Amino acid sequence: MSKRDMSEPKAELPHGTLDLLILQTLQTLGSLHGYGIARRIEQLAGTERLSQGAIYPALIRLEQQGWIGTEWGMSETNRRVKIYALTKAGVAQLQLEVQRWRQATALVARFVEAKS
Amino acid sequence: MTPRRLLRRLLALFDARRLDDELDAEIAAHLELAERDARAAGLSPVEARREARRRFGGVEAMKDEHRDTRGVRWLDTVARDARYGAGALRREPTFAAIVIGVLALGIGANAATFTLFSAVLLKPMPFDDPDRIVQVWEAPRPGVSNATTTLDFLDWQRLGTAFEAVAAEDSGAMALETGGDPVRLAAKRVTVDYFRVFATRPALGRFFGEPDGRPGADPVVILSHATWRTFFGASPGVLRERALLDGRPHQIIGVLPAGVFEQDETAVYTPLVFTPEQSSREIHWLTVSARLGPGVTRERARDQLRAIRAAQPEVTPVFKREWTIEVEPLSQLLVDDTLRRTLIVACGAVLLVLLIACANVANLLLARGATRTKELAIRIAIGAGRGRVVAQLVIEGAVLCLLGGAAGLLLAWWIVTAATPALRGLLPPSAVVSLDWRVLLFTLAVTFATVLLSALFPAWHASVRGMTAAAAGLGRGPSAPRAYLRKAIVAAEVAMSVVLLCGALLLAQSLGNLLRIDPGVRLDGLVTMSLDLPARTYPSRERAAQFTEALADGLASAPGVSRASLTTFLPMRWVANGEVLWLPGVERPVRVRFKRVAGDYFDTLDIPLIAGRGITRGDRAGGPPIAVVNQTLAAQIVTAARVPRPVGLTVRLQYVTFGQAVETFAEIVGVIQSERTGNPRVPDPPVLYVPLTQAPDPRLKLIVRSDASPAAALGAVRGVLRAVDPGIPVADVMTMREVHDRTYRGASRPAWTFGMFAAIAILLSTLGLYGVLSQSVAQQRRELAVRLALGAAPADLVRRTVAGALRLVGIGAIAGLGGALAFAPVLRGLLYGVSALDPRVLAAAVAGIVTTGLAAAAFPARRAARVEPALVLRDDA
Repeated sequence: MSKRDMSEPKAELPHGTLDLLILQTLQTLGSLHGYGIARRIEQLAGTERLSQGAIYPALIRLEQQGWIGTEWGMSETNRRVKIYALTKAGVAQLQLEVQRWRQATALVARFVEAKS
Repeated sequence: MTPRRLLRRLLALFDARRLDDELDAEIAAHLELAERDARAAGLSPVEARREARRRFGGVEAMKDEHRDTRGVRWLDTVARDARYGAGALRREPTFAAIVIGVLALGIGANAATFTLFSAVLLKPMPFDDPDRIVQVWEAPRPGVSNATTTLDFLDWQRLGTAFEAVAAEDSGAMALETGGDPVRLAAKRVTVDYFRVFATRPALGRFFGEPDGRPGADPVVILSHATWRTFFGASPGVLRERALLDGRPHQIIGVLPAGVFEQDETAVYTPLVFTPEQSSREIHWLTVSARLGPGVTRERARDQLRAIRAAQPEVTPVFKREWTIEVEPLSQLLVDDTLRRTLIVACGAVLLVLLIACANVANLLLARGATRTKELAIRIAIGAGRGRVVAQLVIEGAVLCLLGGAAGLLLAWWIVTAATPALRGLLPPSAVVSLDWRVLLFTLAVTFATVLLSALFPAWHASVRGMTAAAAGLGRGPSAPRAYLRKAIVAAEVAMSVVLLCGALLLAQSLGNLLRIDPGVRLDGLVTMSLDLPARTYPSRERAAQFTEALADGLASAPGVSRASLTTFLPMRWVANGEVLWLPGVERPVRVRFKRVAGDYFDTLDIPLIAGRGITRGDRAGGPPIAVVNQTLAAQIVTAARVPRPVGLTVRLQYVTFGQAVETFAEIVGVIQSERTGNPRVPDPPVLYVPLTQAPDPRLKLIVRSDASPAAALGAVRGVLRAVDPGIPVADVMTMREVHDRTYRGASRPAWTFGMFAAIAILLSTLGLYGVLSQSVAQQRRELAVRLALGAAPADLVRRTVAGALRLVGIGAIAGLGGALAFAPVLRGLLYGVSALDPRVLAAAVAGIVTTGLAAAAFPARRAARVEPALVLRDDA
């Protein structure tokens, strides 16, 4: 019954992939607010895999790393809202992470498919 | 983590509110958008809102994670705990004030003592490469420093390649004429290399050059910074002026920089030019300073000087065959052994005070921890880690310690500011007493030590109790703690107080002994002053003898002066050594101290005559040479010469007068009772008195007994002096009582310091004892009530409480006596006339601590006796 349980993503995105998904979303769709990013990830990953709120700690981390930038804009409901966009460093980081992810999945695939 | 991210995270700590607000705005916007989309998908407004929140997840948990991610968690926690601790303390201002006050006392006393310690022993002297500045002495015996002769100095200067510069000095006084009465200034004659030894630059003009040291050179003078300000209005045009010194105009060529030389009392420096008569290997009159060459060790320089002497054995006088040469660092000379010892003892004492303060604070925090068991148990029960709870308590303690440290620093500043004028005369002139970065660093370190000593353990202890309580369930607190720990801490406090009390009592006893010393002279109704005969107007022994006789005769008939006397050294003051006498038929010379007196010296000072006669005004320059000895010397003569009594014996004397070695025969005509000469810890030295008229000296002390006021006596002396020589100023006017206090004041210093620390320590440990006893009475109320209800007499309960107190004090006192034994060797050198293990003093210390222990127990005991069984048992039921 502790608070912590509720903050864990439910059916869980693979560990460490949230950053990559956010960066890829911003790469594909250009600048977006938090809700837009969360919706896009839900669309591709399924609603049960993510509590939408979980993207915000990830967003602040990426911002502090300098991979995404923010500016204030207006939401569709006329509210002041932060708009996130990929920085140059973010583009490079995304390439790096995609590459790492491919290597990792390829490695796992080789192990899983190895017969003897 | 990239450095950029680390920086951003640290910055985020200071920007937490803005970031929280921004996050709140984003969450609100997010939920609004989600709700709108849900409604668009056909949900009712209520369902849409619920759905939006469900999909978002836990808001508060996410915010926590957001904070953890963007900030530095432990720093954030520390800040939060510190805020929480400060808040808790604001709710308990009395507790906070007591703890901060106790710590401020402990830390402040330490910071103040360290300030002195650092000023005297740690700070480098304000010269370039001070390590290279040395003093060169002749050493007749190990540990004895002696001045040197002109020819030896010239040898060292010429052949001492280990040195960059070697300089000699001779201290004296000069009369500066400024229009009115002449002023007596402390003066040094120095060889022209003198300032090269210290590697300083003049504030104005130049230092001496080689031509200034040639015989017959025009007289020049360098002024101290203070003299420049006082007598020449700090005028930059001073270099065009001449100063009339000892009746002769001296061209002013330079002014010394402010700073270290300013603290030396020397006002004017003139070049030291050797006369042909001074070319001797027998007259030891020069103090030698030198600057070592780069990379040269003191040992190498010393060996070189010894080798120079060994290479010319034919010129070294016979009596110096066993002498050697020592090269000592300058700093060693500036700090005498007593001062060093005093400082070390004071540091030890003040450290004990700090330990006691920490013990007290630890005890207070332990007691407070006990009252917070329930709060901690709840925190542990809801999932706070044990480490978190300890950290929170330690940080609360640290807040207290930091506040205590800050208050202590203020206290130290106040103590140092208040004490500096009184310390001036006791510290070496090079000591600059100030709260500097060393003191700040030290105080910080001490404060962290107090955190470790006083906060860590109580925090751990409280967390244990919290865990126990959490495990046992919260309905009832754990059973009353047995408080062994707090009792042990109090016993330790008592022990440390006993050590300090012993020290304070021993030093007080020693001070009393010093002040009770019979100075051997009368103190009341005597005025003393100094005067110096200028070398120009008194170039010869004959002129000086004439002056001495005229002054003594004039004073004898002066109105308001009942007795008057001239001497070379005041009573209770150091007497120069170096003179020797030979007894008939004894080859080995006797080393004596030489005091030249004129007028009615023994009568003026009431020094009793034991045999023969004293020195009177009848002993004139041309008369038969005579001498008077003190008891110490009389005893030595009786032993060495195998004669029944010294009076009537004719001895051969060798001494220096007006720069000339003199050998003469003199008859011992009397023995007087020894008067004290300076350091009370060494036995009276052998002193030989000769008539000043027969062995004249230009540096004179005048002692006048007057029935009138000192001011009237001074007026009378001035009148006589004006008639004899109006060009001679008098200075250093002091009563004999002041001379006495100056000599013995040094001994009062450790006694006062120690006494103050002991008083603080006893106050703190009494408070500690009182705290423990009242708490234990409060905790035992139930038990006491039951006992009373069962028929125990209130007197029994009082006895039990008092017995508990005495047990603690007894254990502490025994441990404290052990500590006093360990401390004894350090203290021994500072004591006079009392053993460091004096049983009466130890007993008094124990009695004192037992008395305060009983006083601390009185209130809790009364409270124990007044427990109302009916009330207590009903409350607890």
